[in-house]
Parts: sequence; structure tokens; C-alpha cells
Amino acid sequence: MEIKLNDPFAAELLKAQTALMQVIDPELYVNIIDLGLVYGVDFSDAARVKVTMTLSTPGCPMGEAITNGVENILGVVFPKREIEVEVVWEPRWNYHMITDAGKAQMGLE
Amino acid sequence: MAVLPFYGTGAVFFAVLAVLLFRVAGELTGHHFNPHLLALVHTAALGWGTMVIFGAAYQLLPVICERDLYSVPFAVASYVMLTLGTLLLAWSFWVFEVGALMIIGGSLVVSAALLYTINTSATAALHQHSSVQRAFMVSSALWLLITTIIGLLLAINLRVTFIPRNHLDMLKLHAHAGLAGWFLQLISGVSTKLVPMFLLGKSKREWLLYVALILQNAGLILFLSDGYFNPVTSKMLTYAGIVALGTFAWLIYLADAYRNRLRRKVELLMKHAAVSFACLVVGFVLLPVAYFVADTRWTSLYGTFLFLGWITAIILGKTFKTLPFIVWSNHYRHLTGKVNVPLPKQLYSERLTVYQFYVYLAAFVLLVAGMVTNCTALIRVALIAWIILAALYVVNVAKTIFHKPMMTDGNKTQ
Repeated sequence: MEIKLNDPFAAELLKAQTALMQVIDPELYVNIIDLGLVYGVDFSDAARVKVTMTLSTPGCPMGEAITNGVENILGVVFPKREIEVEVVWEPRWNYHMITDAGKAQMGLE
Repeated sequence: MAVLPFYGTGAVFFAVLAVLLFRVAGELTGHHFNPHLLALVHTAALGWGTMVIFGAAYQLLPVICERDLYSVPFAVASYVMLTLGTLLLAWSFWVFEVGALMIIGGSLVVSAALLYTINTSATAALHQHSSVQRAFMVSSALWLLITTIIGLLLAINLRVTFIPRNHLDMLKLHAHAGLAGWFLQLISGVSTKLVPMFLLGKSKREWLLYVALILQNAGLILFLSDGYFNPVTSKMLTYAGIVALGTFAWLIYLADAYRNRLRRKVELLMKHAAVSFACLVVGFVLLPVAYFVADTRWTSLYGTFLFLGWITAIILGKTFKTLPFIVWSNHYRHLTGKVNVPLPKQLYSERLTVYQFYVYLAAFVLLVAGMVTNCTALIRVALIAWIILAALYVVNVAKTIFHKPMMTDGNKTQ
């Protein structure tokens, strides 16, 4: 998830990113931002926040817990907006999407 | 929630198996067509192996097939039938009461296998893309059904002889349909999904899995069709060789995923899988030995490496890679992001899994040593270690299943 400083919603995006770092993948023990599961957060509709994300594998048994976590945490940070989570499978998640910080947390090479 | 009883009951059957093994320690190296050994093998294959695998498969099928399980009521019904059927079968073998009880037990097990096969096939069939893992899941389910039907016919044949073939030869077909069809193909399919997932590894040689699927099935079909019409002879070891090649292809795939893994440190629970696969390889080596050497202990060792080595080791390891996540998901999937919740690994005792691993290694090595030397005293010492191992496993499974929902500040949730 990249945030450009000239983005009109940069402040909201930063708040969302910070909040989403509290949502942990219970299987890998790393937050979903560093895992690279969040593809984008859209604030263009004033009434809602739309999160586009993926899961590490389709049919992931932890999927519901993760998307619930996203809805719950963003609902706290943006109480006046409706939270919408869209799970997509393109591009397919792969290990190269994990950030360096995520790799360090997982003890990867 | 439907899968938890499978794990709990499987653990209880494992404890029962350990105690029964101890009770018949002096018979373990004798001929396998012995009431107590038949009861033990069915407790191990159905109550322990199949019970836990059903539970894990019902949880993993949606992952592998990328859709919900076809029928939860079918899964629940298969649990009831498998549990009752195993109890009746094990008891009737133990006291060797050939008749209604054994046949009813066998019928219940066949019904459980049928429900499992329908559930697996229907869950896999509705997916638009084919995958080799799904093919393994479906083929293994079909082999389970075939195995249990042959078993039921053999139980009926003990009461009213109608199969025009040697019962012991038929028993070999029944056993190997279960081992090379049900267990081998199920483990081949599931492991090639789970092991790369847990190790963050990958292999581009997926063709090896298709080779494995074809060879494992071809070898088994040749063995069963030849073995039904002809006496089981040494030429049939060729079919075992074909299955072994299929197994080798699967293991090469796993080794490739292991080499290309991101997670360099291999967890203890994953080391169980390595022990399991090593025992399977030894099992293949022991097969010709058991065939050519008249001494019955080699056949017993062959069975020991497969049931207490290969199948038990993989279940001991994979239980704590699946069960805590299932329990965690039941309790906490709606609470994430709202309150601090524990991690799945905090639902079981990691320390107990360390003890479990080393007690298992000691118990297995001692048992094999006792059987090779035909030393009953050593076998008994080994089986005490097996009882300790079963106790450790049951305590840890119970700790996980009966976990009380807690927030990290120690308050119980509503």
C-alpha cells in the first residue's frame, strides 16, 4: 500500500494504514499491511471507506477473521463512514509482496 | 465447530490404542491375523488415523477447493457413524465375535466413508479449475470407500463364506487399498498444499504431482486386479514399486518446495512431517523383506512403520498446525480489531509439543528395537513411553478444544 504525499486523502490514508497495522494475520503473526494484503483504500466517497485487499490463499480459513478485523478497526477510526471490504484475487498475492519489515518479523531471509 | 469432535475423539482413540498395545505387548511380533492385532489395526486406522483426517479434511477441503463444504450435516453424520462403527468393529475383533456386531460396525464405517466421499466429491466438483490436490482428495475418498466395502465383505465372509478366494490374500488387498489408496493419496494431496504454505516455499515442478497421482493409482489398481484373480506372489512387488515411484515423485516435489522456502527455520511441528516421510520410505523398504522372510515380526514392523511411524507422526505434528486455528476462528473471528485477542499458538502448550516430539522419537525407536530383537520387556518399556506420549497429546488437544475465550488483559468475553 503506497501513500503519495500529494494525494488529497494522504492524511486519511495514513490513519487507515496505521490502524490496519493492528490487524494481524493469525497464521503468519504479521500485520496485513506488511504482508502486502492491502492493495488500496479509497476515500473518494465521503460516506464510506472502501478497502481493496486480498488473502494469502483463496478459501483461507482465517479470511473472515482478517476481513472482520479490517471492518472493526476502520469502523473505530472512521465512525461516520461505512466500511466496505472487497476481497480480490488479481493480482494474486505472493511472498514478494511482503515488506522488508514483514520479512524481518517472520524471520525470513 | 463440526470438526472439533473428530480431533477430540481421535485423541481418545490414540490413548486407547496405546493402552491396548501395552496389554498385548507379547503378541505384537506374532502373525497379523490375530483378534487383538486386528482390533489394534482397526483402532489405529479408523479411530485414530481416519478420525483425525476426517476432521482436518473437512476444515481443509474449503481451502483446497476454494468454496464452502458441500454439507455440514453429512460431516456430523459421518462422525457419529465412524465413531460407533469403529467401537463395534474394534470390540468384535478384540473378542473375535464374528457376526452381527462386526457386520453392523462395518456397515456404519462404510456409511461414514460414503458420506465423506459424497461431501468431498461434491465440494471439489463445483470448482471451475481442476487442481491436482483436489484430484488427490477425491481419489483418496473413493479408495476409502472401496477399502471399507472390501472390509465389510470380508467381515460378512468370516460369518458366511462366499468369497472364492483365500481370506488372508483378500486381507492384503483390503489393507493396501487403505494404505496406498486412502492414506497415501490423502496425505499426498493435503501435504502439497500445507507444507509449502507453512514453510512459505514453492515448487514449479507441479508435473511431479500428476506423475505421483497416476503412478500411485496405477500401481494400486494393478495390484488389486491381479491380486483378486491370482494368488499374491512376489511379482506383485512390481506394483508396489510403481506406487513407490509415485511416492518418490511426491516427495521430490515436497523436497523442492522445502529447498525453495522463505522460512529458513523449520518449526518443531514441521519436523514431525520429516519423521513421518522417513518412516514411509522405510515402510517401502520393509515390504519385500516382510514378503520374503518368513518371520512374522517383519510384517509387524512393516505395519508399525506405517501406522505408528508415517501416519501417527504426521497427525501428531499437523494437529497443532490446524486445531488451534479452528478453535481460534470459532472464538475470535468476530472480535479481531475490536479487542486484543490471543494468537492461535497461545491456545495450546508449545512446551508440551516439544515433550511430545522427543517422547515420540524415544517411544518409536524403543518399540522398533524391541520388535527387531523380539524382546518383550523392551517392547513393554517402549509402550509405557507410548502411553506417556498419548497422555501428552490428549492433554494438549483438550487444552485447545476447551479453551475459554479470553482477552489479553485476562477478562473473559461474553
